[in-house]
Amino acid sequence: MTDNLKRIFLEACVLMAFGALFGLTMNHQLVLDAFAGRLVPQRPVGDMQEEPQEKVPLAYPMPILLDEVQQLMTEGGLLIDARSPELFEAGHIEGAISLPLVDIETVLPDFSRRVDRDRTVVTYCSGFGCPDSFDLGMRLIETGYSDVRVFEGGYPEWRDAGLAVAGEGQ
Amino acid sequence: MSRAEGLFYHLCRLTLALVFVYAGAVKIQDVVAFAGHVAAYQILPYAMNYLVAATLPYVEFLAGVLLLLNVRVRPALVAIGGMTLVFMAALVSVLLRGLDIDCGCFDPAGGEDVSAGVALLRDVGLMALVALTWFMRSRLTTRSAKCETRGEEALKAR
Repeated sequence: MTDNLKRIFLEACVLMAFGALFGLTMNHQLVLDAFAGRLVPQRPVGDMQEEPQEKVPLAYPMPILLDEVQQLMTEGGLLIDARSPELFEAGHIEGAISLPLVDIETVLPDFSRRVDRDRTVVTYCSGFGCPDSFDLGMRLIETGYSDVRVFEGGYPEWRDAGLAVAGEGQ
Repeated sequence: MSRAEGLFYHLCRLTLALVFVYAGAVKIQDVVAFAGHVAAYQILPYAMNYLVAATLPYVEFLAGVLLLLNVRVRPALVAIGGMTLVFMAALVSVLLRGLDIDCGCFDPAGGEDVSAGVALLRDVGLMALVALTWFMRSRLTTRSAKCETRGEEALKAR
């Protein structure tokens, strides 16, 4: 009886390991990106010597979690909503400013005049699966912003966590 | 096992199989969106959400397929029961922290939101179904073993 149960549990472990291995094979790039690729700040070629440790320019926006967003907000970070103006009006994270990716050519010049290049900025949009925050982050890095983060959980995660939101729908 | 008991066993097994094949298949379609649902639980660090989203649906799908084929039923039930217990623990933690999130149990890309409370009740039902299927399967195999023993004894008696 005990041997039989042991065998069943062993087979269950093999089943789960096989399923997990298959999933990893199918999604290895996504997992690698999450663990290394997009999480590792990369320095542009040619800037390897003079850069101080604290202000390393990022080649990609750094993904951050909800509690890190809250901490950065208290330390003077700027939250940027990458969604359309309509969605921003309907509801957004309290304290965020709108910089819609759809109108980026129009709004970016004014934004770059008003916001210092060395200020920490955090972009967000409609949560996981929404690429606008990442694309906007890339655009800000190209414009010269040195510390760009992306909050992938975005507005849905913030709102669902019961944190302060603003807008017409609130 | 009577005919009615046999039918009941297959009904339980097939219900569980279809639930898990469907749950796995829809999540496999959109792993990134599922990672978002996992992240909404606020339990794991950033990258681990992707690891779970990349692997869990395949385990669900595989376990469901084994049940569907009536192959390695008890190992599949252990896997499904174990996963359901983990889901229940996560949902209880969500309820205790007062988070208002969609459970992400099935279609991560859309569909109706299911609250943690409703999902927890559903998981209790699934656990009951797992226990029933295990019990019925055990009865089935015990009866078969007894029949074989009796058959052998009858042959020896001749």
